[in-house]
Amino acid sequence: MTIARASISVLGTSALLFEAPGEMALESQQRIWALAREAQGWPEVREAVPGMNNLMLSFASAPRTLGDLEARLHAAWLVAKPLPLEGRVVELPVVYGGTGGPHMGDVVAHTGMSIDEIVERHSAPLYPVYALGSHPGYCYLGGMDPRIATPRRKVPVVSIPGGAVSIGGAQTGVSASAGPSGWNTIGSTSMHFFDPAQDPPALLRPGDSIRFRVEKVIR
Amino acid sequence: MIEILSASALATVQDLGRTGALRWGVGTSGAMDPLALAAGNILLGNDEGAAAIEVPVFPFQVRFAQDCAFAITGADVAARLDDEALLPWWSAPARAGQVLQLGLPQPGPWRASRAYLCVAGGVDVPPALGSRSTQLRGAFGGHEGRALRQGDSLRVGSTNGEQRTTGIGLVPPALALPLHVDDLPAIRVLPAAEYANYSEASRAAFWSEPWKITAQSDRYGYRLSGTPLEAVSALEMRSHGIVPGVIQVPPGGQPIVQMRDAQPSGGYPKLGTVIEADLWRLGQAPIGSRVRFVETNWDDAVAALAQTRRWLDEVRRLVELHRGSR
Amino acid sequence: MMNSNSDRVRQLSDWLAGTDIARLELRGHGESICLRREGGRIVVAQDEPALVPADAPSVTATAASVGVFLHRHPLRDTAIAETGTTVCRGQTVGLLQIGALLLPVASPCDGVVAAMLLEHGATAGYGERLVELHPLPAGA
Repeated sequence: MTIARASISVLGTSALLFEAPGEMALESQQRIWALAREAQGWPEVREAVPGMNNLMLSFASAPRTLGDLEARLHAAWLVAKPLPLEGRVVELPVVYGGTGGPHMGDVVAHTGMSIDEIVERHSAPLYPVYALGSHPGYCYLGGMDPRIATPRRKVPVVSIPGGAVSIGGAQTGVSASAGPSGWNTIGSTSMHFFDPAQDPPALLRPGDSIRFRVEKVIR
Repeated sequence: MIEILSASALATVQDLGRTGALRWGVGTSGAMDPLALAAGNILLGNDEGAAAIEVPVFPFQVRFAQDCAFAITGADVAARLDDEALLPWWSAPARAGQVLQLGLPQPGPWRASRAYLCVAGGVDVPPALGSRSTQLRGAFGGHEGRALRQGDSLRVGSTNGEQRTTGIGLVPPALALPLHVDDLPAIRVLPAAEYANYSEASRAAFWSEPWKITAQSDRYGYRLSGTPLEAVSALEMRSHGIVPGVIQVPPGGQPIVQMRDAQPSGGYPKLGTVIEADLWRLGQAPIGSRVRFVETNWDDAVAALAQTRRWLDEVRRLVELHRGSR
Repeated sequence: MMNSNSDRVRQLSDWLAGTDIARLELRGHGESICLRREGGRIVVAQDEPALVPADAPSVTATAASVGVFLHRHPLRDTAIAETGTTVCRGQTVGLLQIGALLLPVASPCDGVVAAMLLEHGATAGYGERLVELHPLPAGA
């Protein structure tokens, strides 16, 4: 989905949401990282949290008026240069399909592709970590092949396990712990993405990359 | 130590929430009624954000293994300390060995669903990422990252030898800061980015009709039932940060309000967000009850936040003033 | 003297624990002991103020500060202490509201609640008489 221009909206009095225009792309995400770094230093902002080509600013305290902050945000976006965060590449072995990939059939049905084609297209790219969110240690990844995009499920699943590899719309990701999900789970992997005793507690961060290695395909 | 005697539960250790960890995908958790938790702490001379036990299911029983000053705020649950009936929103001293029983939420001018057991010194569990709130997904924080079970023992923090005043109480904010429309609790909402994507009829229904809190409601989210809300177009959205209070409308048209344990990000279209100042009102609305949503604007939402802040400050001022008079 | 006093207290506590008496007071030459049952234990009631003479016709609880006198808690529709009921010294018989704060109005004696002297919701001045009680004779 293309968004025409940067838009700013409120999430109650708790946060501001900035959505970047244009196609979802790595360079745009790198500018979001730059914007986050800039905004993190502003007095109103408790946390600048990148999403997928968007940025949420959670308020330390809700400002009396928004005009100044909005203007500052627009201005900072205009001059934001892509921040080329470069991190590690983490390789995850994935068992595609089978009981660990209960919604592979739905992706097949939606895309019209075979399981093997879907596995090939899903495991080919090197996926940059765009952002963390959703649950502790979970990484939103960029770079998925649009041909395997499958809409989020109408009825979310009550619980899928940690390690579930899923497709939601044009995005893909790996669950870091058991919980509900509206995405289509096509496989599973094992990895510890989060440990609250560590500093930082998350294994991955924006700028790292994930590669899915095909360990097995269950048809 | 406080010993948990009750088997059933969903009771969790909470404080005012975990902030600063959104960058790692960690949401705030924290009390569904932060005003009640803070007020209970203030009654006992604690920091506002000291950890307490949030109790959503009753009856609930604990035994105090040591002398302890405590307070119960939130729902009036006809609490009893051994044989003695306690007033709601009240602080009292417990002696070692005494048993505290919280009963069912009582009928009255305020229907509420959660009680907070606060103790002088706070519930002493190790902080995780700066907070003692329970993070259920990922199982950390609070007491072992999970709901309390029969046989659990919780440590009580030190009061550094200070004698804490007890035997005083508060007029609950539901009575001090009332908000109703047509005799139902009113919850103020700021429209969100996709508000205009809902049909005019749906938007009108959202503001004018009562919404029922269904049984599929919990700390993650409140699923509401009412007139199905229709989107004008199907939006496939990018994942973005969200906060407690965000009202999403999945394809079925029945809104879900994200609550304290909600994911910190999501990709469903958003109709609006319950303002931070009113999250406690919704958080206390019992399953099966109905609420009304009221459209508000930025200025009024910020003013509402200031109002709750003033109420807490006034409580602190009065409690400290009367500390010596007991 | 102290030792025999604490021995005596222990003896009385042990004896009292075996009965279903809720409260025991002994008064003698310039000293008094008050024991009461609390939960499953017998405790010594500490720091008691001077007992009200048993032959006083009535006793009042007064306002310890300016505030709004309440017969019942704002969340409840029943009186905290109905007239005609028996209360212990120190037991809450009403509330004094000062803004957000609720202070207990405590009974100055063991006794029977005779009357509310101020309406529910009326403002009380400092020292104003709020609740009238008929004290119980000592040892009752």
